[in-house]
Amino acid sequence: MSPGSSTQAVHFGNTRLPEEQRETLRKAKKLEWITIAFLAVTVALVYLVLGNSQAMKAAWIEDMLSFLPPIAFLVAARVIRKPPTEQHPYGYHRAIGIAHLVAAVALLVMGTYLLVDSALGLITAEHPTIGGVELFGRTIWLGWLMIGVMLLIAAPPVFIGRAKMKLAEKLHDKVLYADADMNKADWMTAVAAAVGVAGIGIGWWWADSVAALVISASIANDGVKNLRGAVSDLMDARARTYDNARPHPLLGRIDDFLNATGWVGEAKSRIRDEGHVFHVESFVVPREGSTPTAEDLEHLREDCVDLDWKIQDLVIVLVPELPEEFLPGVETGGED
Amino acid sequence: MVMLAVAPLLAGCGASMPADPNGTLQEITGGTLQVGVTAAAGEEGDWVQLQPGAEPAGIEPDLVRGFAASREATVEWTGGTEHELVDDLEHGELDLVIGGFGADTPWTKHAGMTLPYMETKDERGKTVKHVMLTPLGENAFLLALDKYLQAQELQS
Repeated sequence: MSPGSSTQAVHFGNTRLPEEQRETLRKAKKLEWITIAFLAVTVALVYLVLGNSQAMKAAWIEDMLSFLPPIAFLVAARVIRKPPTEQHPYGYHRAIGIAHLVAAVALLVMGTYLLVDSALGLITAEHPTIGGVELFGRTIWLGWLMIGVMLLIAAPPVFIGRAKMKLAEKLHDKVLYADADMNKADWMTAVAAAVGVAGIGIGWWWADSVAALVISASIANDGVKNLRGAVSDLMDARARTYDNARPHPLLGRIDDFLNATGWVGEAKSRIRDEGHVFHVESFVVPREGSTPTAEDLEHLREDCVDLDWKIQDLVIVLVPELPEEFLPGVETGGED
Repeated sequence: MVMLAVAPLLAGCGASMPADPNGTLQEITGGTLQVGVTAAAGEEGDWVQLQPGAEPAGIEPDLVRGFAASREATVEWTGGTEHELVDDLEHGELDLVIGGFGADTPWTKHAGMTLPYMETKDERGKTVKHVMLTPLGENAFLLALDKYLQAQELQS
């Protein structure tokens, strides 16, 4: 399985993607391009009817920020294909973590800014002014156009988000997951803005600021959630599933497989989640009286790698007893 | 789902949207339109001419009189500097301020503005989009004024 063995193959570093993941990656890229195209239309449409509504401004900025995750994903998907080099012996997998972090910080900063801005509008009792607009020779209230545009753009991201969510699981891609999660919640932003404008329409000047507060809170919340995820990944926290819901099951599978091998007395591994693929260090204590050869070790390593496409970079260390130093919690049996 | 969330809000109030939080349009209809005027006359047009002892004259006072007539309102004129007039507008003492304002007016934090009702070129060849200033957030009044101004055939 050397890199570049086939022109058709797609690699993440040294890892050659299986058929299913290759197909998933292709679909994910297509969906991200669709997202970018949709966002470009959305941003232009909303800009045209922006007016003086704070809620519309917040929704517009959220749409602008929504460009970041798809772009981060597409850039990272390119960078992580590079095989490891002398300068980067672990490969380029971490690119996706960096992209994730950058997107998270942008969300948090903009969300906080809008939160303060909208709160100030509410405190100083700013009455948003929305007048008429010329449309086909008639003068109508601009608010109607705002509501129309927001309702028009509310639904599509939900479907795109759902489709991406499925792919994120197969690819074990947290940026894609975060992006899908945001898309799924996007309709609420659009509806909140529409309700805010409708509120202005019936003379509730505060409705706009309140809607803007709701939208900015959701942006800031996305930022915090993503920041937490991105930082814990870059900090080499224990590998978790793509949605961070539970520890990744692969860890248990590797240890079970090692322990089931004839000459192994006891084995435990630690995993670094590199974004898509895992880097694994397995500590193996040979059964008493058995003396494994270098070939035995190499076979065991190859069998482990064959367990799942995500395992590629795996090292086996032969030890007389499991080192607490490298495997915290080994003596207490660990907690799950 | 989206429609469900907003539909009742729209259906209940569709007829009177937008509304004024402070009821300006209702107050001036058949009542008094309080207008702030500041002189603005130049090469590109006589927007507002002020003569002691006479009613304000020019393009904008004529438009305001027309609008007031359409709402059966009498106009009460108040003179002053832009600063004073915008301040009065913000505090609800005036309903409208005219004085040759362009759409790029720096007063937008303190006043709403109408759609441009006319475009001219200033002496530097820059396009000026002429607007009037209204109280912030009085959207029904603003829309009524916008509709009136857009319906006028104005030649620049």
